[in-house]
Amino acid sequence: MKPLRIVLQVLGLAVLVPVVALATLRIEHRNADGPSILFPGGALVSGPLHTGPEPDWSFTDQVGTVELQLTDPVSSRRVWIMAADGRIFVPSGYMTSLLGRLWKHWAFQADQGDGLAVVRIDGTRYPRRLVRIHNDPVLDAIAAKMAHKYGAPLTRADVEAGNTWIFELAPREG
Amino acid sequence: MSMRSYLVLCLAVSAAVCLAVLFVPGVSETVERLVLGFLSRNAR
Repeated sequence: MKPLRIVLQVLGLAVLVPVVALATLRIEHRNADGPSILFPGGALVSGPLHTGPEPDWSFTDQVGTVELQLTDPVSSRRVWIMAADGRIFVPSGYMTSLLGRLWKHWAFQADQGDGLAVVRIDGTRYPRRLVRIHNDPVLDAIAAKMAHKYGAPLTRADVEAGNTWIFELAPREG
Repeated sequence: MSMRSYLVLCLAVSAAVCLAVLFVPGVSETVERLVLGFLSRNAR
C-alpha cells in the first residue's frame, strides 16, 4: 500500500503544479489592459481611439496579432488579422473540436451577441463590429492571405463547414 | 508521508508556484508558451 500511496501523492503534485500555474495566470490577466499570448485580458483602455475615415488596412500585413476586445462581455484576446479587398478579418479555428469550443468562447459570444468590439492594432484602438462571414467572394482572398501570412491552410469548405469561423471587423454604423 | 504533511506540502508548492508565476520574470511566458504548444498540437 505504501508505494501506491507515494505514487498517488507524486501524481497529485504533478497535477497541482500546472493547475495552480494556469489558474494564477488566468486570474492575473482577467482585468489587465489587454490579453497575454494565451489568456484573455480585460478592457483595452490604453492607446488613442481612432476616429475619422477608414484607414488603409494594408498596414496590417506587417502585424502578426492584434488585440480584440468584445464589448459584451468585456474581455480581450490576441487574434490573427487578415486584410483583403480593403476590409479586415479575424479567424477563429478549431470551432468543431472540443478544445475549440472550450478555447474560443469569444467567437460564440460575438456570433450570438451584438458583435460590438474594439481592436487595438499597433497601440491604436479601433471601434468595430464583428460580422461572421459564411459565404462571401472575399473568402478566397482571405484564405490566400492566411496561407501566405501565417502558413495556415484555409479553404472555403473549412469556413462553410464551420471548422473555421471568419469575422469581418466592420465599421460601426452611425 | 502522512496526509497532514502531504496537504501542507501541497499548500507550500501552490504558494511557491503562484509567487513564481507572478513575480519571477519569464516564468509566466514559459508556461503560456508550453500550453500554447500543447493546444496547437492537440486541438483537432
